[in-house]
Amino acid sequence: EDEDDNLGLEAWERSYADDRSWEALQEDESGFLRPIDNSAFYHAQYRRRLRTTARIQKGLIRYLYIVIDLSRAAAEMDFRPSRMAVVAKQVEAFVREFFDQNPLSQIGLVTVKDGVANCLTDLGGSPESHIKALMGKLGCSGDSSLQNALDLVQGLLSQIPSYGHREVLILYSALSTCDPGDIMETIQKCKESKIRCSVIGLSAEMFICKHLCQDTGGSYSVALDESHFKELIMEHAPPPPAIAEFAIANLIKMGFPQRAGEGSISICSCHKEVKVGVGYTCPRCKARVCELPTDCRICGLQLVSSPHLARSYHHLFPIAPFDEVTPLLNDPRNRSRSTCFGCQQSLLSSGNKPGLYVACPKCKKHFCLECDIYIHESLHNCPGCESL
Amino acid sequence: MIFKLEDVTVYFPYDNIYPEQYSYMLELKRALDAKGHCLLEMPTGTGKTIALLSLITSYVLSKPENPVKLIYCTRTVHEMEKTLAELKLLHNYQTRHLGPAAKILAIGLSSRKNLCVNSRVLAAENRDSVDAACRKRTASWVRALAAENPNIETCEFFENYEKAASAAVLPPGVYTLQDLRAFGKQQGWCPYFLARHMVQFANVVVYSYQYLLDPKVAGIISKEMQKESVVVFDEAHNIDNVCIEALSVSVRRQTLEGATRNLSRINQEIERFKATDAGRLRAEYNRLVEGLALRGNLPNAWLSNPALPSDILKEAVPGNIRRAEHFLHVLRRLVQYLRGRLETENVEKEGPVSFVASITAHAGIDQKTLRFCYERLHSLMLTLEITDTDEFLHIQTICDFATLVGTYTRGFSIIIEPFDERMPHIPDPVLQLSCHDASLAVKPVFDRFQSVVITSGTLSPIDLYPRLLNFHPVVSRSFKMSLTRDCICPMVLTRGSDQLPVSTKFDMRSDPGVARNYGKLLVEMVSIVPDGIVCFFVSYSYMDEIIATWNDSGILKEIMQHKLVFIETQDVVETTLALDNYRKACDCGRGAVFFSVARGKVAEGIDFDRHYGRLVIMFGVPFQYTLSKILLARLEYLRDTFQIKEGDFLTFDALRQAAQCVGRVIRSKADYGMMIFADKRYSRHDKRSKLPGWILSHLRDAHLNLSTDMALHIAREFLRKMAQPYDKAGSIGRKTLLSQADLEKMTNDGSINEMLY
Repeated sequence: EDEDDNLGLEAWERSYADDRSWEALQEDESGFLRPIDNSAFYHAQYRRRLRTTARIQKGLIRYLYIVIDLSRAAAEMDFRPSRMAVVAKQVEAFVREFFDQNPLSQIGLVTVKDGVANCLTDLGGSPESHIKALMGKLGCSGDSSLQNALDLVQGLLSQIPSYGHREVLILYSALSTCDPGDIMETIQKCKESKIRCSVIGLSAEMFICKHLCQDTGGSYSVALDESHFKELIMEHAPPPPAIAEFAIANLIKMGFPQRAGEGSISICSCHKEVKVGVGYTCPRCKARVCELPTDCRICGLQLVSSPHLARSYHHLFPIAPFDEVTPLLNDPRNRSRSTCFGCQQSLLSSGNKPGLYVACPKCKKHFCLECDIYIHESLHNCPGCESL
Repeated sequence: MIFKLEDVTVYFPYDNIYPEQYSYMLELKRALDAKGHCLLEMPTGTGKTIALLSLITSYVLSKPENPVKLIYCTRTVHEMEKTLAELKLLHNYQTRHLGPAAKILAIGLSSRKNLCVNSRVLAAENRDSVDAACRKRTASWVRALAAENPNIETCEFFENYEKAASAAVLPPGVYTLQDLRAFGKQQGWCPYFLARHMVQFANVVVYSYQYLLDPKVAGIISKEMQKESVVVFDEAHNIDNVCIEALSVSVRRQTLEGATRNLSRINQEIERFKATDAGRLRAEYNRLVEGLALRGNLPNAWLSNPALPSDILKEAVPGNIRRAEHFLHVLRRLVQYLRGRLETENVEKEGPVSFVASITAHAGIDQKTLRFCYERLHSLMLTLEITDTDEFLHIQTICDFATLVGTYTRGFSIIIEPFDERMPHIPDPVLQLSCHDASLAVKPVFDRFQSVVITSGTLSPIDLYPRLLNFHPVVSRSFKMSLTRDCICPMVLTRGSDQLPVSTKFDMRSDPGVARNYGKLLVEMVSIVPDGIVCFFVSYSYMDEIIATWNDSGILKEIMQHKLVFIETQDVVETTLALDNYRKACDCGRGAVFFSVARGKVAEGIDFDRHYGRLVIMFGVPFQYTLSKILLARLEYLRDTFQIKEGDFLTFDALRQAAQCVGRVIRSKADYGMMIFADKRYSRHDKRSKLPGWILSHLRDAHLNLSTDMALHIAREFLRKMAQPYDKAGSIGRKTLLSQADLEKMTNDGSINEMLY
């Protein structure tokens, strides 16, 4: 009953993220069913994420290729309705989230089908065009080839300027790769051109993917189910730490274009169509572009707006990770602090036993696990420190 | 880390220790204290070797008053090198903490083939010809001749070693075979003879089983190892078979023909010596009159034979074979007699006593004469200065046979089969002297040495080994693996996707439904398991049969869409090539399936760790070929002598092979893998309970009676779960890595005992 109160919904009213809710049940020693307490697990996962990324130089200008495996294995139905549909749905969400967090970055899409890699969209800053292109091209067949995909991406990424961070995110359904040549050489080439390759597998761990990620400094993970897959892919939205030998300070020329006046008519350089009103004007060559951020088609200047820069700012000054507090039962001081500073909920879990919670190392305020994640992932400010 | 284990300070080269390593050391220490033998089962991948080495070396360091020598027996050269490498690490750690006081000498000893540094000798292709090539250059008479005639080739390494004489010693340290070769090259000394010489001074000797168990080569030890030694047999689950093989001889037609050729060659030599140097033969005769005990005076003495009753060494060689030509006659008659016996139409089975009686009656050779054949032949070959010993293997086999048949009256039988049971149209007569009693070969080892440790990943059921080997262990224990996550997933698959039972039982074997269900299982599995899959079949013939069926029904093609297929064959070179390519296919992400045979070379010695083996499927229960005459004779003997029921022994033997096969995939705790036992008979308790404890403890009840689709679902879940990052040290509740502080704390509050039991 407690649980229902917490969620504010009856069991039948809740919508289930995946339709296999019985898998979240475990048998205990005596054969009774018990739900798995996931909160501690998720929190541990989140902390691991935090530990690796806190206080390091970040690559804010990212050039990311998403490689989507559309081989035979993508048609499997272990994710409903199929792996392919789930991947497409999550890629859509990811692309939006990515541009939200990295306004200065660009994405391109690559698909692998019948052992051949195809470039679906070129690098670009508009989420809509990517999503449209992807949704039109769904359909899977044949084998998958990691090497072909890497070769293609490596060729495309080696042309981009040196200040940009080159990344590949591979969403891999298949369990094998059918390659024309030695994939180890391709991995070596990727490493040399400083491409960070990450893989999210959909079924099981593959040695070659692990090897690829380890060698190029990327991360490798395997999705348990759809919600886990979403989590994993979203982990790639915040900028990764910069590769050490590559992280030299660099001045980048950028233009801040003005929004074109209402009612002005001009031909935009990106679609080569006549547009009324909407659009921006490049400060150097006065060409018209429709969306920001982008590179000017005429003079090649990188065009951004100031809010984009501001939004990227918090990545550089992350909040220090909160310390885990092991609650002491008989500490009188604890009594007064037994609520979360963020949401004012009690920090005592059921049965008045103190659950796991965290404290900010600066202001020493206590927070519950949910607020901890919220503060670090969305708010980027510590309410305790701000109210001092 | 350094910690106290009762009264011994243990130096352990790593910062953390697994709980089972700690308990392993404790049991081992108690066995050493009691000066008794012990049997310890601990799964592979838990650091058995390092636990063992560090305890025994630390034991010696803590109790300097009784120096114990460690004799470590491994099955392969590769394992020998691995053991020595671990010991090196340990030794560095100990000397860092204790200074030069901890210095020991540890060497590996192997055949000339592995130790020789002379490039011309090494050019020979097999072990026997390397031995012969070495003898050709180092025998005393060759060297004596070479002193006069510089055209005769000698080995400069051996000459240098001889010149250095007593100065030729190894400084303390740990030497792998490679180190020995490097040292030999650098000093210009022969590493083989140096190692053989240093064996008696070394604190730790690592070598192959054969050096202790095979009576033909065990001589080195019987002379030079003191009683206060600890003998360790690592990977000893097959020790009974090794013992039996060491005392079994089979004679075929080719052997007899070869032996006849050898005899005429010896005859020529004798004639030659008679003409040129009759004094030598005369001298040999006189020596034999004085008795074999004085044989030590012979130059290049051959290694003596510990499996022979000790009185044989004191007895003089019987008169009728003292003269070379007489001995030759005896051998001729023996060969003739054996040839006559091979010409039989029926299978014959006899005990040694009646066999010897028949030899006496038909060939006029009595038991005592037979017994001395082996010694006499070697004495003769030395006298005749024969160096190309590899040419004389046939006659040596005959003499081996004669000596064994003349020595033992129990535990053996002689079986003559005119053709192979499975191919009755091809005449291939073979006379086998087969040993049934594993305790015969190992008995001298148990009697001679203070402590013998038998250890392996699979020794279940652990109470059977003492009965088979006929000894009384003071400690016998089986340890489980402490794991931070359930990284092994054994499953018993009893039904195919159509719910029909699957089995390789004789009456179901030819059922096409079983082959189809097995095929479907594999097809499904290749599509969900990444990288490498290993399949074990019960025999070569069954594997050929089922692969042919799969090929006809297109199953093989379906498999190949997902993974490449490699097959083990009886040809070693071919199999090695297949394995190589299998690994490559796993490395590059193509994925591969390896078809192999239980009891084959691959099942015994090749590891399929990490991505090389994510799944192993055992198709059927690998029973021995139960109609084999040798097996039947052995079963009968075991029942009569040790009261081991036939069924029990067969199941035990089949299950240890199965455990051995599936155990190939887990070689460390960070690894993970699935094991499918695909036969309905595995779900029966009497079969299943004979699996080792570390597999049984992960075999959940829900996984006992699966059909293909259920197994698929479990496999999918398991692989996803294992791909998640995990905490290597284990959480508080389930501590699997203990630091020094942890250990001290646990010893103080007594919770260590809780952990151990």
